[in-house]
Amino acid sequence: MARVRFSALGSGFWSLGVGAAALTIAILSVPSGTRAAGPEDELPDGEGKKILVSSCTACHDLTEVTKFRGYYDRKQWRDIVVTMMDYGAPVDEKQVDILADYLATHLGKQ
Amino acid sequence: MNAAICRRLLLTALLSALAIPVAAQVRIIQTNSQGDNIHLIDPATNQIVGEVKGVPINHGAAGAPDGSRLYFTSEAEQTLHVVDGKTLQVTKKIPLSGRPNNISISHDGRRVYVGIVSAPGAVDVIDTTTLEKVKSIPTKGGIHNTYVTPDGKYVVAGSIAGKVMTVIDQKTEEPVWTLFQEGVRPMAFETNADGSTKRIFVQLSDFHGFAVVDFAQRKEVARIELPNDVPPEKVDKGPFNASPSHGIGVAPDGKTLWVTSRPNARVYTYSLPDLKLMPGYVDLGGRPDWVTFTPDSKRLYIATENTDTVVSIDVAARKEITRIKVGKSPKRNITWVARGTS
Repeated sequence: MARVRFSALGSGFWSLGVGAAALTIAILSVPSGTRAAGPEDELPDGEGKKILVSSCTACHDLTEVTKFRGYYDRKQWRDIVVTMMDYGAPVDEKQVDILADYLATHLGKQ
Repeated sequence: MNAAICRRLLLTALLSALAIPVAAQVRIIQTNSQGDNIHLIDPATNQIVGEVKGVPINHGAAGAPDGSRLYFTSEAEQTLHVVDGKTLQVTKKIPLSGRPNNISISHDGRRVYVGIVSAPGAVDVIDTTTLEKVKSIPTKGGIHNTYVTPDGKYVVAGSIAGKVMTVIDQKTEEPVWTLFQEGVRPMAFETNADGSTKRIFVQLSDFHGFAVVDFAQRKEVARIELPNDVPPEKVDKGPFNASPSHGIGVAPDGKTLWVTSRPNARVYTYSLPDLKLMPGYVDLGGRPDWVTFTPDSKRLYIATENTDTVVSIDVAARKEITRIKVGKSPKRNITWVARGTS
């Protein structure tokens, strides 16, 4: 059986090996309960996000909202909020404009 | 060869030429609700054989009866996209009165009925000759789905927000009667021997099953709950858009009704007209959204939105044939007879 002499493989091999080991340790160090990043994580914090997460995800995934990223202006986002309230989304009147502002700012047409 | 044989051969050749000017091809049209593309599946091979591009956040689909065009709504652009049936290119975008959901087409292909889900709600009427919106029929609440009854005489619109089903006369384009006080979801139609509508099977918000509407009496006559036959630990907890049962269809031969369950990730079959639950089910592997049959009633296609697949089912055997990977979050699908496309 041929034996590989590590020295013959050069310093690049060692760099690769150290990198792979570090990556393995890093992966193994991640707690098993850690979840993958979702659309919620991509959105900045704020009052609007709290309303968004609490009122929308009871009925559907957040991707049903983020799929409209870049397409709607504030008026159209407000229309979505009002339509969803008609569907039964637990958003009160005071929250409508906060949520519409948030959606227009972070997912709105640029 | 005598003259009579010559005439017969000539006639046979002529009739053959007339019979096959353009080959008709059945296609399953599968929308992708979080993408900008739509897939065309050949049910003979279960392969994707075509793709329409450039319809962002597509929702509703309809095919011209003569095979010349496809129509799709774009929720993102709030338009009806007109697509050439041969090239599969978008040829026009028709502005709508609000954010659209599902659509249907008249039997003569001259009208497309677009459900407008934005408040206050409407059915936009598109003239397919001029390719313009010619009317908005006001409704109580935004419209989720529209259907043209199998006899072509009525347009039926379902509203989730308005909690009502509205039956519209197709000729006058005016509402004639309404029913329900619950969010109205997908529907399927059973016909009398003369083709007129006998019953509508209606899925409703927050109900794991369907309601039965006698069309002549204009009233609900039964409500049937789907089986709870999945072990609790295997039941999908959602969320389901408040629609645990979404996807229902009567096979074109009129013999069976197929109804999907999101928590159970299954489709169940009821015999018609007696509405008896048939033994067994087909596992779907995900959350179903919509169903469509091939015209010969041999195959059924069910979109499962959270697995990005379409399940092809052998109707007679009530068995899965295969799962076809499509685009992002497939929902509405239709069966379309194409003329000379890919």
